[in-house]
Amino acid sequence: MNLLAFAARRLAGAAVLLVLLSAAVFAATAVLPGDAVSAVAGVDASEAQRAEVRAGLGLDRPAAERYADWAAGAVRGDLGNGFVGERPVTDVLATRLPNSLLLAGLTLAVTAPLAALLGLWTGLRGGGADRVVSTSAQILAAVPEFVVAALLVAVLAVWLEVLPRVSVIPLGGTPLDAPHALVLPVLTLSAVGLAVATRLLRASVADAAATPYCEAARLNGVRGVRLAVRHILPNAAGPAVQALTLTTGALVGSAVVVENVFDYPGIGRELQLAVAARDVPMVQGIATALVAVMLVVLLLGDICARLLGAREGDDR
Amino acid sequence: MTTVLTPPRRRGRPVRPGTPGHRRPPLFTGAATLLVLLLALLGPLAAPHSPTAQLAAPFQQPDGQFLLGTDVLGRDVASRVLGGGRTIVLTALAGTAAAGAVGMTAGVLAAMASRRLGDLLVRCVDALAVLPALLVVLVLAAGFPGSAAALVAAVALATAPFSTRVLRAAADTVLNSGYVEAALARGDTRRAVLRHDVLPNIAGPALMDTALRLVASLHLTATAGFLGLGQGGAAPDWGRMVSENVPGATLAATPFLAPALLLVLLSVCVGLLAGRLADTVGRGTA
Repeated sequence: MNLLAFAARRLAGAAVLLVLLSAAVFAATAVLPGDAVSAVAGVDASEAQRAEVRAGLGLDRPAAERYADWAAGAVRGDLGNGFVGERPVTDVLATRLPNSLLLAGLTLAVTAPLAALLGLWTGLRGGGADRVVSTSAQILAAVPEFVVAALLVAVLAVWLEVLPRVSVIPLGGTPLDAPHALVLPVLTLSAVGLAVATRLLRASVADAAATPYCEAARLNGVRGVRLAVRHILPNAAGPAVQALTLTTGALVGSAVVVENVFDYPGIGRELQLAVAARDVPMVQGIATALVAVMLVVLLLGDICARLLGAREGDDR
Repeated sequence: MTTVLTPPRRRGRPVRPGTPGHRRPPLFTGAATLLVLLLALLGPLAAPHSPTAQLAAPFQQPDGQFLLGTDVLGRDVASRVLGGGRTIVLTALAGTAAAGAVGMTAGVLAAMASRRLGDLLVRCVDALAVLPALLVVLVLAAGFPGSAAALVAAVALATAPFSTRVLRAAADTVLNSGYVEAALARGDTRRAVLRHDVLPNIAGPALMDTALRLVASLHLTATAGFLGLGQGGAAPDWGRMVSENVPGATLAATPFLAPALLLVLLSVCVGLLAGRLADTVGRGTA
């Protein structure tokens, strides 16, 4: 099967999955419509006011009909308006998603080379250094992100006073207008991401190093950096990329948490605010958008891994 | 999250007793885990003050009356620290138990069912696994605000897909083994095979999987507390204490450092034990 057909098949699968998961998100948030009404009308609203609000929000119709309406709008690029402040969901996505992607991109730029270095080193050398790095990565991966963030705040912002505690970004500006505000969020995400990536890369480097092919190269006198870069890395990269994309979900979660710790104006912060305010359309829109982003990443990961020559495996 | 927690594969070195591969039992980690679990579960009984009452000015330094100072609302940090672990541990345990039950049932069913049905089940589970765990928690929290049961369900839902896959693979291996074939050939019912052959033989992988799931559940529950999901209000929770008190980090460090360090201790100890268990069981079955 050529690459194009492969990509098309995966794209179709992802589209079906997106529809199913958006329906699941809708169902999970729309089963208790009474609660959305009290969130908008206030708890002490009279029954008549509540009925009015319910009709105004269209919540008096059956859930299946509401989902069909919402999905039809979503296809046209209209995700409805949030309950709080009547902001169009797509506007929020358009202003906040780029900020989150910037955070993710910077994290990737910091993490990828470091993880490659550490993964190669520990996977090839083994021994004491391997144990130290592997154990620290395991420990770091087990600690919740917000705790890592809080400890970084304690050391860098409180004790050493070198960085601001929250990401104050000028009104109407982008995070790039205040680069120092990005340091702590990127640092936290990178620490967590590095722990995850190093362990995955280490495993596939160790696998690649144990292949007869690498043994042959070694016996032919290829050693050190040349062996690592020319022979091990190309073989280890495919499985590592595949494994890494499978952890995207965890990293999306980390990003949500980190944005909340530092009040970073990203999509995760917006999602948490929407959940706290019981702003159902906003939650549905943002959750669906995040699922779509995830599916795109998984698709790109599959294509990358295929280009890097990994076998498709058991179609996971 | 599972990929993160799978134990590092060892390179084809044979393990001999006495080499570093044959390690001593993790006494220190075990003791530390036990200690922090006891603190979390029994702590509320030992609290010197009410964890929810405002007793003094906010962010007072530690003194004789308030051993760890006071928090953002002038509540006693020591009492809140003692009271704040129970919800996290209990929710994580409940979520793990639910995920384990669902994963075990679905995994064994998928393995015992016909190949087509089993594949279909696993595909559905895979679709669920695409959702980021925290997104499941957030969406369910939006649908069922302030519900502790919804938090448990979300934790279970987010972690069960991985269990299903692991246990299906384990049950598949057993079902394809010679002794199951022999048992079926001599006329044992599928029920008897399930009870006497399959379940005892997947107990090891199931235990290991549950331990890894517990690590993920603790992680998720603590994060949910931090984001203010689940049971709300003034009740103490280590995660929420961090989020409440980090804004005042420059005024007082203990109100957010104490719960943060306890969470580090808890997740690291449980994580190390689970990794160790996975290593041991993995080597036993490999």
